[in-house]
Amino acid sequence: MEPAGSGIAIEFRDVSYTLPSGQRLLSDLNLQVRRGETLVLLGRSGSGKTTTLKLVNRLLLPSSGEVRVNGAPTDVIQLRRSIGYVIQDVGLFPHYTVERNIALVPTIEGWSEERIRARVQELLRVVGLEPQMASRYPRELSGGQRQRVGVARALAADPPILLMDEPFGALDPLTRDELQREFLDLQQRLRKTVVFVTHDLREALRLGSSIALMEAGRLVTVLPPENFLHSDDPWAAAYVKAFGVGSYDAAERSAP
Amino acid sequence: MNFVHFMLQNDVLELTWEHLWLVGISTLLALLVGLPLGIMIARWPRWNKPVLAGANIIQTIPSLALFGFLLPVPWLGARVERLAILALTLYALLPVIRNTYTGIRGVDPAVVEAGRGMGMTDRQLLFRVELPLALSVILSGVRVAVVISVGLATIAAAIGAGGLGEFIFRGLAMVNNQLILAGAVPAAILALSADLSLGWLERRLRPR
Amino acid sequence: MPGGAGITNAARSIISALRRVILSPARRKFAYSRVLCYILPILLAIVLLASCAPSHSDRIVVGSKNFTESLILGELIAQQIERTTNLKVERRFYLAGSYICHQAVLAGRIDIYPEYTGTALSAIVKQKPEGGRAEVYQRVKDEYEKRLGLTLGPSFGFNDTFAMEIRGDDARRLGIKTLSQAAAYAPQWRAGFGYEFMERPDGFAGLAATYGLHFAATPRVMDLGLLARALHDRQIDLAAGNTTDGLIAALDFFVLEDDRHYFPPYEAVPVVRQAALQLHPEVARALAGLEGKISDEEMRQLNYAVDGQHRDARDVVADFLTKKIPAK
Repeated sequence: MEPAGSGIAIEFRDVSYTLPSGQRLLSDLNLQVRRGETLVLLGRSGSGKTTTLKLVNRLLLPSSGEVRVNGAPTDVIQLRRSIGYVIQDVGLFPHYTVERNIALVPTIEGWSEERIRARVQELLRVVGLEPQMASRYPRELSGGQRQRVGVARALAADPPILLMDEPFGALDPLTRDELQREFLDLQQRLRKTVVFVTHDLREALRLGSSIALMEAGRLVTVLPPENFLHSDDPWAAAYVKAFGVGSYDAAERSAP
Repeated sequence: MNFVHFMLQNDVLELTWEHLWLVGISTLLALLVGLPLGIMIARWPRWNKPVLAGANIIQTIPSLALFGFLLPVPWLGARVERLAILALTLYALLPVIRNTYTGIRGVDPAVVEAGRGMGMTDRQLLFRVELPLALSVILSGVRVAVVISVGLATIAAAIGAGGLGEFIFRGLAMVNNQLILAGAVPAAILALSADLSLGWLERRLRPR
Repeated sequence: MPGGAGITNAARSIISALRRVILSPARRKFAYSRVLCYILPILLAIVLLASCAPSHSDRIVVGSKNFTESLILGELIAQQIERTTNLKVERRFYLAGSYICHQAVLAGRIDIYPEYTGTALSAIVKQKPEGGRAEVYQRVKDEYEKRLGLTLGPSFGFNDTFAMEIRGDDARRLGIKTLSQAAAYAPQWRAGFGYEFMERPDGFAGLAATYGLHFAATPRVMDLGLLARALHDRQIDLAAGNTTDGLIAALDFFVLEDDRHYFPPYEAVPVVRQAALQLHPEVARALAGLEGKISDEEMRQLNYAVDGQHRDARDVVADFLTKKIPAK
């Protein structure tokens, strides 16, 4: 796997997305995501951040412009299997055990049973779940546990890219905090290219190595977290004000 | 005469078999045609209105009238079993199609999105996710179809298709209550047991 | 229906093979399909078993239509088989009409039922019912054997066709025996017919043309059940009925002879499945024993015994058989 920081993983060139009804969700988006970084798409509802995310794994296709995922297969199915996808509602299959849920992509890729079983156990450890969870069903799990499984599922085939759409949004603050910390830890170790959608500035500051602020379908600015708080950009400033975030503590970002 | 003895004398079993044959084969055909149709309109909702409307229209035609329409048709009218099975299949279609459609559409959209986003093909989504999760609802449609068929097969005896309804019509002509019951009671039992057993299966399969 | 046990066993082994394949470890991931694969095999099993289940190869099923004469003939066939063979007979009487009986015998649900040659020719073979008795019988027999896997047993001996009835005393007083003779008196008579006879082109219209019948007024259309009473009470002078009506003797009616052979023959014959005859040749012998045993007059008496005297058809037939064909 390529070392972090070398090369562009994902590129948006003059991308626009318009609904059949004529409503424009994205306009002239130009954005680059470097390999190994955690790019946070920050913005309020309707700003186009989820749309942008879905353009990466082609759940949506651009109306104009080009979305490039470098080094990825051209076939859309293979592309999606090489990208991890985590959504807010998690979307675990209720009729599959935790193990089968995690093993989704490896199974459809035809891995052997032993390899799958070993990988599932490994991932359970990675996301902080006990081995016996494997035989449980999603309905027996708490919200936080479910999302951990969701993350494990996304990581199962060891994809270089992770797309995360407000993954911790539906969780209580304590669990959210826990999962954020664990995410940071994971990122330190795995160095995946992550595109992370959120509307929560604090989360953005904590998790992102780069924050792309979006408003009304346009990219407003891209800033590293240190610079965000004191930015002159009016939108950024409005965001900071709305969140009442006082200072930015760099120490929070470092792994334990 | 003792009722049970009466039933045995008149070989209720034979007519029950005839009845089961009519119901079984028409339900099978309704599944073979209706399941794919339901899946299709779930995938391409554009066709949803015409297909459901068509099945609905068929359901609205009174059964005896449908039998009457089909009698003069050359190949069908030659052997009344073909006719009866076709009619029973048509009536079983709507519950199967409609429930397949609502079952599949009723699957949690987050589940479908997650599956698609992870790289499942449409076919994999259908067979590994949507159908298993819709199974309970589909089964409920099958249950309705079976219960309807048991009842309609009773009427099919009026045009000579055999089955338990024949006891009823013969009993009416003979003004013989025992004969009427010999047909009505087993038919009711058949319908009830199908309803109960499929209902039990349905509950077991409900995604929790 | 094909022979039972062999196919049932085959069906069972197919189903268990299906189950083994579907539940094999390689397909364990399709856990849900276990259910679908219980439903489908169960449906298939029901269908297969029902299609070859209780085939009544050990007994004969006799059917009949839902009017007295057919019932009597059906009972006659049944009792004849019972007394001359070792076969068990099952009765499936009161089937509502030719189509239903025909379908039942084609499908093998019944093996024998009494039919009329004229009806078979027009309704089933779909040809015009014309010609003499022997000719019609042969045509029907040939068609049945060639295309339908059925055959005709020998005729019972009577012809149940349309009868033009007048009061007995009128017949004796005027000395008329045939329809041609009666035509002379038609302008003085009122006639009464059933609805169907009036409407059918091969009913009244053709009859009037053949014999030059002109009644003073248009014939009255009446409910069939009321015709006999109306004739008896002198409200009408000529009625259309059947040659074997039970009431003919009882009410002293006279059937005018159809000397120009306008009405097609409706000989009563047993329709039999060829497969049943092959399986049980003794049935053919039993039916042969009934050949020509019932005249028009005797059929009238049998009908009257059941309809008029309200006796049980079983008893009436039993008495008749004892008298007519003494047991050996």
